[in-house]
Amino acid sequence: MTARRLLTRGNIGLALLVVVLLAMPNLASAFFVNFVLTQTMMLGVAAATIVFLARYGGMVSLAQFLLVGVAGFMFGNAAVEGGARGLNLGMNPWLAVVFAIVITTAVAFVLGALASRTTGLYFLMLTLVYAVIGFFVFAQIVELSGPGGITSIQRPDLMGPPVRLYYAGLVLSVLVYLGFKALGRATFGLTLQGVRDDPIRMASLGYNVPMHRTLAFTLAGFVAGLSGVLHVWWNGQIDPASIAIGPSLILLIMAVIGGISYFEGAWLGAFVYVLAFTYLRDLPLIDQIGITEARFNTVIGAVVLLIMVLSPEGLAGIAARVWRRVNKPASAAPTAPAGGPSSAA
Amino acid sequence: MTQTTPAPAVPAIADPVIQVRSVVVAFGGLLALKGIDLDVTRGERLAILGPNGAGKTTLFNVIAGDITPTDGTVAIKGRDCTFLPSRHRPRLGMARTYQKARSFDGLTIRENIYLALAGHRGRHWPLWRSPVDRRLDEEATEVAESVWLGDHLDTAAGELAHGQKRQLELGMAIATQPDVMLLDEPASGLSRGERERLVELLDSLAGEVTLLLIEHDMEVAFSLSQRVVVMADGAMVTAGTPEQIQSDPDVHEIYLGVEASS
Amino acid sequence: MTGLRRRATFALSLATGLALLTAGCGGDGDDTAGLPAEENVDEPADAGDDGDDGDEEAPDASTGDDSTVRLGILGQCEGPFGGFHEDVVGGTALAMVNHAGATVNSTTSALDGFSGAEVAGTPIELVGIGCGDDTPDRILQEVRRLVEQLDANVIIGPLSGDEGLAIAEYAKANPELTVLAGISGSQEQTLHVQAPNYFRFYGDGAIWNAGLGDILHNQEGWDTVAVIADDYSFGHTSAGGFIADFCAVGGDVTHRVFPPLGTTDYSSYIAQLPDPDEVDGYFWAVGGTGTQASLEAFVNAKGDLTGDQHAGNLFFNPDLAQALGTDIAGAYIGGFATLPGDVQTPAIEEYLASADDTWETLPGSLSGNEPAPPSVAAAFGFFYGYYTAGVALVEGLAAVDGDISDKDALHAAIGGLTLELPYGDISLDENRSGIVDVGLSQLAVNDDGEIVQETVAIVPGVDQTFGGTFSPDTPSPSRDFPECEERDLPWEGNAIPVVDGVPQQ
Ligand SMILES: Nc1ncnc2c1ncn2[C@@H]1O[C@H](COP(=O)(O)OP(=O)(O)O)[C@@H](O)[C@H]1O
Ligand SMILES: [Mg+2]
Repeated sequence: MTARRLLTRGNIGLALLVVVLLAMPNLASAFFVNFVLTQTMMLGVAAATIVFLARYGGMVSLAQFLLVGVAGFMFGNAAVEGGARGLNLGMNPWLAVVFAIVITTAVAFVLGALASRTTGLYFLMLTLVYAVIGFFVFAQIVELSGPGGITSIQRPDLMGPPVRLYYAGLVLSVLVYLGFKALGRATFGLTLQGVRDDPIRMASLGYNVPMHRTLAFTLAGFVAGLSGVLHVWWNGQIDPASIAIGPSLILLIMAVIGGISYFEGAWLGAFVYVLAFTYLRDLPLIDQIGITEARFNTVIGAVVLLIMVLSPEGLAGIAARVWRRVNKPASAAPTAPAGGPSSAA
Repeated sequence: MTQTTPAPAVPAIADPVIQVRSVVVAFGGLLALKGIDLDVTRGERLAILGPNGAGKTTLFNVIAGDITPTDGTVAIKGRDCTFLPSRHRPRLGMARTYQKARSFDGLTIRENIYLALAGHRGRHWPLWRSPVDRRLDEEATEVAESVWLGDHLDTAAGELAHGQKRQLELGMAIATQPDVMLLDEPASGLSRGERERLVELLDSLAGEVTLLLIEHDMEVAFSLSQRVVVMADGAMVTAGTPEQIQSDPDVHEIYLGVEASS
Repeated sequence: MTGLRRRATFALSLATGLALLTAGCGGDGDDTAGLPAEENVDEPADAGDDGDDGDEEAPDASTGDDSTVRLGILGQCEGPFGGFHEDVVGGTALAMVNHAGATVNSTTSALDGFSGAEVAGTPIELVGIGCGDDTPDRILQEVRRLVEQLDANVIIGPLSGDEGLAIAEYAKANPELTVLAGISGSQEQTLHVQAPNYFRFYGDGAIWNAGLGDILHNQEGWDTVAVIADDYSFGHTSAGGFIADFCAVGGDVTHRVFPPLGTTDYSSYIAQLPDPDEVDGYFWAVGGTGTQASLEAFVNAKGDLTGDQHAGNLFFNPDLAQALGTDIAGAYIGGFATLPGDVQTPAIEEYLASADDTWETLPGSLSGNEPAPPSVAAAFGFFYGYYTAGVALVEGLAAVDGDISDKDALHAAIGGLTLELPYGDISLDENRSGIVDVGLSQLAVNDDGEIVQETVAIVPGVDQTFGGTFSPDTPSPSRDFPECEERDLPWEGNAIPVVDGVPQQ
């Protein structure tokens, strides 16, 4: 924990990146910041919970977007007053945030406990079932949402200007990134990795394995809930289609594109997805080769396939490999890339 | 079958640490244990011999709580633990190693041992590091040094050579300073030099530590144990001192003979 | 440790990439020296929603935006209505051709847009076509792309009900924007949201069944009816319109059954309906593949369908006869935006001919997205709804003499329009939703023994309140709203009979 240890290349890189991102509203168009980057931050946090569960716990979850949605629905139910649907509790928005996060965390605890004795493909399938059931719960229980969803959801005045939402997303992203990384070396992170590597051994060392999985899922749900609150602030509405199986899969795809065992990959995957979604159709002549908006999902599928073939570790894995190759002959050249961002900025 | 029946070979003892009574384990139709009785006293060094498939590991699994016996009971330190899950064993002072090394391959040696220590101390949940962790890390370092892994503290367990993995297994078991240790073939795959060091290490354990040892290597088994139990085909065949067992012709036939041919 | 370093380096490369990207993105389009994203930092959050006006003002100022109408169209290229993408864009394009002097860029597809549109000296430029997939989230992303990236200041669309609600909210939060809804049929987008810059020049999903209750109760003698409708907002709204109408004139709704959208086996829902001898009739508002499937399930469970005991909303169409037989002749059907094809007036003929003059062919949804005469698409409500929105834009612009710098004036002008349109005049109520003529029809057997749809009545001046059943204070139509209540309907007894395609007035 000396200053020297803090001065790793990773930390310097991260600090540089954060500086660039903080400066982004001064550099880029409002749309790029408020649409592309804000979404990247929110979705990145949500995808990071997938990475967290996969990397530390060995659990690939399809239910994370459901939890994002639960938080959104709960915030909407709590904060909206006199709306057409939902509970219309009319709470103070910040109290509504607490309400939403508490409920989401509790839901995650219950879902996590139910899934805590399954692993691998069974866990994936079970969380898929959660996602499907979640959709129907909100579509069918009209007291909470109904098919039309909760609309006219206002964010707190403090968060009014869109750029603040971006900063909130950025701060949350940095906290979640650092938090998840630090957790990997803290007791709970280590125990979780132990559970991932060998649950039987962990039990014989005295650990309650199902409880560890449950609490990991709960923690991931808590973080997904934070992302969900941001998301519903950004979007202003949420409906069952928001949490249908499509968006759930897309979140997993983001994590996979980025590299499911790298936390950086979560944000990178989200960024690439949002970029592709937003700008792909603007490429000249792109529709001449059949890539129209209507084929967007096909394109994303092809991109995923390509990345998987090139590197099962996703883009982050590719980046890491390229870096290692470049770095091997001349390992002491950190200044060259570090100069990149500043000069470009 | 033999004049030395298992039951009288178990002396009526004053201070039983492990009491296994008529334990039966069935895997589907296969009877892996066919009614085992075994008492172990405090501080005893017991070796369990027997050919592959005899049921030795299964017996360990029952004692350690990794599997629940189909029938029979297991008591540890006077407490009925037949249905007690394995995760409660460390609190009873028990630690075990596995025949096929079960280390956390994604974690470093230090972290592996840390988990053994933290598990024993009940430090399972903290979300951030604290000075306690630093002390545990220091302890883990000492443990690693004691099993000759001091130079590899930051090596991932998955990258260790076979022998080193066995050393790590042992380190994770002794880390918590248990008073009951179950070691499943600790010497298998070790070089001659490593075996000698292993014997030396186990010899140095405090006298009150109860040690159960499954071992194929006669030299290791006999040099470490006070009593030897021989199993075959899910049953106990004979028991006695190392000298008695060495000279037992039945043992030679059912165990050493098999061993020699395999 | 190696892992750490690896990730470190990765973070670096990400930083580099991002920075480069930003430089690139910041460079294109508007040069944003005015730090647009920061613009709002000190402003109070008035609407508390995204894209405050300040957001658009910066680019507005730099591009001289107010001299041009920068139009974005919200369609759906994916999802259940993805097939109508050509149709809806075509509708707006035709309005520009007919009323703003535009020419289309391609004679075989509307998606290539149009050029040369101008009203009172103000050009109308198509900046983009949004691609929805029938979900509010997606349409919000699309509208933000059109408005916040492509600087659209006028939006025509969206297509479906839930999308309409989301876009109305977006319009409310962005008062500088002008939105003319496409063919989106939810009540709340106008009745509840009441955004002053959101206009809908056609009816909501409920009003297309206005007048059916009058005919069925007072003319056909139905006193009781069972209703079966899709369990989502359009199903609720469409059924709600029928229930409001039927109950207002004195009928009683005994059963309401709502199968979820996408049901394939309707037998359990049919079982919840009464038997044919227990009610006078049934009203169907089940769409998509469910229309056929639900009716077939009815035949299996309860015996034959007869036209004198069944009515439906727009989903009930002559094609059903292929599976159900000609017994369904006689069934009454609600309207939808245009009048059925058997009504031909000079205005309608002129409108359809103009479509055929504009394009050689259009691959619209009604022709299975195969090239077909453009009038096929133009005669259907999706095309027409976007056409009316386009005409409204043109006439609104004309009313303010092409000056769109004063949004309040523009919005007031649009709100006060009465459009003389081929399928009837349309004006707006105080919530800027259309007051329209609804054409009701009946299935009938023609001389060739085929089932066809014949217009039987035009119900004039239908608005979305149904004499007070729906108001800004009532909830949205749902499984149990509206209740069944008798009340005065402005249009009760006012239906204009149509005989052989000729309105009798
Ligand atoms: N989990 C299990 N499922 C099925 N059979 C098992 C299992 N574990 C052990 N066995 C069987 O039980 C018998 C005893 O195995 P084990 O106790 O491992 O023998 P040993 O350790 O003496 O070599 C063997 O036949 C083995 O195949
Ligand atoms: Mg064994």
